[in-house]
Amino acid sequence: MNDITLNQNSKLGSIDRPNSYIGRSLTRDGAIRHLEGGGKFVDDLILPRMVNSAFLRSPYAHAEIKSINISDAQKYPGVIDIFLSEHIDAVCKPWIGVLSHLGEMRSPEQSPLAKKIARWQGEAIAIVIANTRAQAEDAIEAIEVDWVEKEPQINMETALDKDTVVIHKELGNNLFWTRTVEQGDVKKAFKDSSTIVETTLDFARHTGVTLETRGIVADWDKSEKKMSIYHNGQAPHMMQHIIAKHFNISEGLVRVISKDVGGSFGIKVHVYGDEMATIAASKILGRPVKFVADRLESFTTDIHARCHKISGKLGVDKNGKFLSMEINDLSGIGPYSMYPRTSAIETNQVLNLSGSPYIIPNYKAVGTVVFQNKTPMCQYRAVGHPIAVAITEALVDKAAKKIGMKADDIRKINFIQDDQYPNKTPSGVPLEDLSHQATMNKLLKIMNVPDLEKQKKLDLEKGILTGIGIISMCEVTNPSPLFYGVGGAHISAQDGASIRLEGSGAVHVSSSITEQGQGTEAIMKQIAADQLGVSMDTIRLTLGDTDSTPYGGGTWASRGAGIGGEAVLKAARTLKNNILKIASAIMQTDIDTIDIVNNSVIRENGEEGISLKKLAETVYFRGHELPQGTNPELIATSSFYIEGIPFVFTNSAMGCHVVVDQDTGLVKINKFWVVEDCGTQINPKLVEEQIRGGVIQGIGGALYEECVYDDQGNMQNATMADYLVPMACEMPDIIVDHVITNSGRSILGAKGAGEAGTGGAPAVIMNAINDALSSINKEVTSQPITPEKILKAIGKI
Amino acid sequence: MLGSKKITINFIINDEKFNDITVPVRQHLGDFLRSIGLTGTHIGCEQGACGACTVELDGKAVRSCLILSSQINGSVIKTVEGLDDTLMKKVKEIFLKHNALQCGFCSSGMLITTKEILNKKKKLNREQIRTEISGNYCRCTGYQSIVDAIEEAIEDNIQGYLK
Amino acid sequence: MKSPDFCYYEALSIEDAIKFKSNDLEAVILAGGQSLIPALNMRLSSPSCLIDISKIKELKNITKDNNFIYIGSAVTHSEVMQNKFIIDHLPVLIDVLNMVAHPAIRNKGTHGGSIAYGDPAAELPAFVVAANAEIILMGLNGIRTIQASDFYHGLFETDIQDDEILTCIKYPILKNNQEILFDEIYRRHGDYAMAGVVANIEILNNKIDNLKLVFFATGTKPEVALKTSELIIKDGYDYSNVKNMIKNELDFESDLNSNAEMKLHLATILTNKVLKLMET
Repeated sequence: MNDITLNQNSKLGSIDRPNSYIGRSLTRDGAIRHLEGGGKFVDDLILPRMVNSAFLRSPYAHAEIKSINISDAQKYPGVIDIFLSEHIDAVCKPWIGVLSHLGEMRSPEQSPLAKKIARWQGEAIAIVIANTRAQAEDAIEAIEVDWVEKEPQINMETALDKDTVVIHKELGNNLFWTRTVEQGDVKKAFKDSSTIVETTLDFARHTGVTLETRGIVADWDKSEKKMSIYHNGQAPHMMQHIIAKHFNISEGLVRVISKDVGGSFGIKVHVYGDEMATIAASKILGRPVKFVADRLESFTTDIHARCHKISGKLGVDKNGKFLSMEINDLSGIGPYSMYPRTSAIETNQVLNLSGSPYIIPNYKAVGTVVFQNKTPMCQYRAVGHPIAVAITEALVDKAAKKIGMKADDIRKINFIQDDQYPNKTPSGVPLEDLSHQATMNKLLKIMNVPDLEKQKKLDLEKGILTGIGIISMCEVTNPSPLFYGVGGAHISAQDGASIRLEGSGAVHVSSSITEQGQGTEAIMKQIAADQLGVSMDTIRLTLGDTDSTPYGGGTWASRGAGIGGEAVLKAARTLKNNILKIASAIMQTDIDTIDIVNNSVIRENGEEGISLKKLAETVYFRGHELPQGTNPELIATSSFYIEGIPFVFTNSAMGCHVVVDQDTGLVKINKFWVVEDCGTQINPKLVEEQIRGGVIQGIGGALYEECVYDDQGNMQNATMADYLVPMACEMPDIIVDHVITNSGRSILGAKGAGEAGTGGAPAVIMNAINDALSSINKEVTSQPITPEKILKAIGKI
Repeated sequence: MLGSKKITINFIINDEKFNDITVPVRQHLGDFLRSIGLTGTHIGCEQGACGACTVELDGKAVRSCLILSSQINGSVIKTVEGLDDTLMKKVKEIFLKHNALQCGFCSSGMLITTKEILNKKKKLNREQIRTEISGNYCRCTGYQSIVDAIEEAIEDNIQGYLK
Repeated sequence: MKSPDFCYYEALSIEDAIKFKSNDLEAVILAGGQSLIPALNMRLSSPSCLIDISKIKELKNITKDNNFIYIGSAVTHSEVMQNKFIIDHLPVLIDVLNMVAHPAIRNKGTHGGSIAYGDPAAELPAFVVAANAEIILMGLNGIRTIQASDFYHGLFETDIQDDEILTCIKYPILKNNQEILFDEIYRRHGDYAMAGVVANIEILNNKIDNLKLVFFATGTKPEVALKTSELIIKDGYDYSNVKNMIKNELDFESDLNSNAEMKLHLATILTNKVLKLMET
């Protein structure tokens, strides 16, 4: 156990207490059931009279639906009904994925099923409801569609050309959104720069590939006029609002339950047409309807992400100080902006976050987002960060090489110094409580760069190309209302926690944050037990049910610990105070002389005054024994949101060591290091594991993952054999270390840690590979960095 | 001489006898197991590529999505729900200790694969362990904690190997 | 996706299976199912019936005589890898099979199934061709034997007739001066290779006396590089010479894993790698 993590935040109390749990790597006892086969995932659920569904989907990227004949299909064995867009639209209002605070954003209305035109391969056209999924699929083959193929627009670089295919005629062109961020005067600053470096990078579309695919059971109860939704999503309250709004049901009569989720990473926080169609089917039929995407559907309909082409320019003075940075980013999304978070956020983060660890007085960033006849694109773990960090750190490395400075030295002299906060990103976003210097210094120490450099020279003599890469980055976490709410989205920035002491002495906590495997349950319990003074085994937790948890935002943008955790802390402290008030009345002693330790109220001398069990029994069953006027509230609810700044940032430094095989183009990652500063760590092991999982996911994007399309807009590698996700054999062990700079925005001081690994890995791997290739004066600029791209760069093919 | 679309068979799952069960021949074993309430086995791809559906069939780890329910007549099957022998109880403790799972969706397949690794009674290094689990996709952990757990489980059982 | 409907028939004997297959041309053979069932699950195939041969005893043996090793077509990859005859007389086959998918697939997938399927990116079809094995088939007219090098005609197209079942593969036992070497280049362990080679080499007086290079994952079927092999015997290995010779002799085809040019380059590299292996 790391001493640093234990002594991290004095506001939380002494670490010598028996119930000091914050900062300890306790095992997740709540996870045992997964090892016993006891997980409760959406597809495990069976309800009375539940039926299954499958979708007829467009085989074309862009095609007109002249007619659909479902009469034969209706007669297939087991078929309950078949719905087309007109049936679904009768019960579900369309939506538009725009927010008002990001400037002009144009996206047409989207309905659950395609109306007259299919605009991406995989778009749902019809829903078949049958007793079994297999029967539904049988019937789909009998649906006759008269398709008229149209030319698809699948090249983002020509999407705004004069004579290209315009996907939505009413919009006039394929522009979804554009934004320019400008600080200072980049033109002048480039003129003043003694050295200018430039590069253009491109990033391929890829997707989340959650092991558990998207799924939903919609249960419209005609008798209660209540809609219950069992959903493997991340934000149940957001879904509650959206379902109420679009299905014209009062929000209080919509219940969303999100229990076990087999991985989400942002994929399951968006509104999908097929899921809305499933809900509509349930409303029409008055019985539960289940939809679980299969893997083929998952590849072609889960949101994609990260399709960008970005050019960047960095101007440096003769001492290596950054004067000016300019980026121009192009991104191609789907034919619709996703709802409700919009498909602009990824580009917006690229504009906001490029250059963020450094002082760069002059900054200009232009982002252009265009529609494509491909799967819709939206937020996926570390939204925009991989691109922002990659372009920044590639330019920094280039500048260093050009002026003959070491990679770490150039960063060190340009960092916002650790004692220079509050400060701002080059784009103007407020920053506070960061530690680029401390994290970089620690990284260099644990990497032992001099040894790596020595080995690199020896390897080169044998014709082996090795490379060392380092990066620094900031990560967006704990967003405030200024992220979504400000733009009109019903996405709560405030989360709540409720904690109660029950008659048995057990403690129950409910929180509006949700769990997808990161350990939400464990850390909430640790915070509650720690701050209340009870043992871990007394705590029970409820998450993911809009009927029985406080209202809140759910888990996304690494906000669970920092925002949800703070609400739990506050509620626990309030309950503790309530208990002590009652105890002081029962014990006839001053409240300042008693405390709660190990499930009992104890006196200053350590003697037990009354156990919590006994106190609870008195309050609940023998209230007449309490002194008059005692306020016996054994329940407390608190909430928390971030005020005054748009996000709480974390920072990390990462390094990696790679070998590039000149004959095969294969890249082996020998070692990977991360030094993370996410403020107070509630469970250090869980933080480390988030980093590790995130890094591996980032390696996927850097080296392996890409949605490959043919020239007709058909995805060609929509299988687990052809779309390459990282598997165990090729992945490195990752060394994780920490610096702790608490967030001043909360008592807990915790920031988020879920996404840094994914945000930084692509950049540091690219830098390392280019460091290796620089020995032979070559470079790569396109991700995923496949063997083919390396061999092409080297000139072997 | 026509084949049949439904077939009546006998088999044993987790020491429980199933007699005269009629199954649709096209249903794969993973779906069949889940249809009788053994939902611990998960479906991830129906292609055999992700490993989530791995179960033990007649003593060997197999992809339940690539076995037809019609093929299990007379077979003995173990799923994650039936891994309650001394060895696997210890393995689960070790998995928990290393946080070798996050969302838990890959865990049933991982455990069956781990059981087969341990039954080989070989001491494996980390690289070899990674090769053994190279067919089990995990998106959450990045594999390191799983390798840590299996490494400790092998170490833990090493005395058994030497007997 | 869920499989389309089909009938299932468990064959009681080879003859029984042949009879059923001959009577129903839309029926397919089910051995391990590790290639067939994924295709069914993706609705890429709609056979009328699956004839299960996986439990027929006569297909599940590995035997040996003085000159050959016989592997029954329904023997699983795992069983092949643990078999004493293979360990003692054809250990390279174990190295090859270690590259086939993953343990759980190998526990079910069969030797004959993989060879009969003929996936161009698979290892076993190239192995049987390189090993100069014979494929033994049985049909209504009895037993038929065909050289592996004559067995593959095109993409998933083999010499198996409508009434035939692949029953056994017959491998010549290697001579004392003979070795089969194998290597492949892949993105992830167990994946289909980007390119692979199986080389059958005979040495005489420290020089290559006989060489048969067979490439896989490069086209629609195993590609035998006879002229390239002759060139190497004559002139030894030179990257440019070998690359040009392969280019002139064979037509590589791009796939999702790598394009034709890359496969050509990798095939050239692989040739050098196996020759270096031989030197050690």
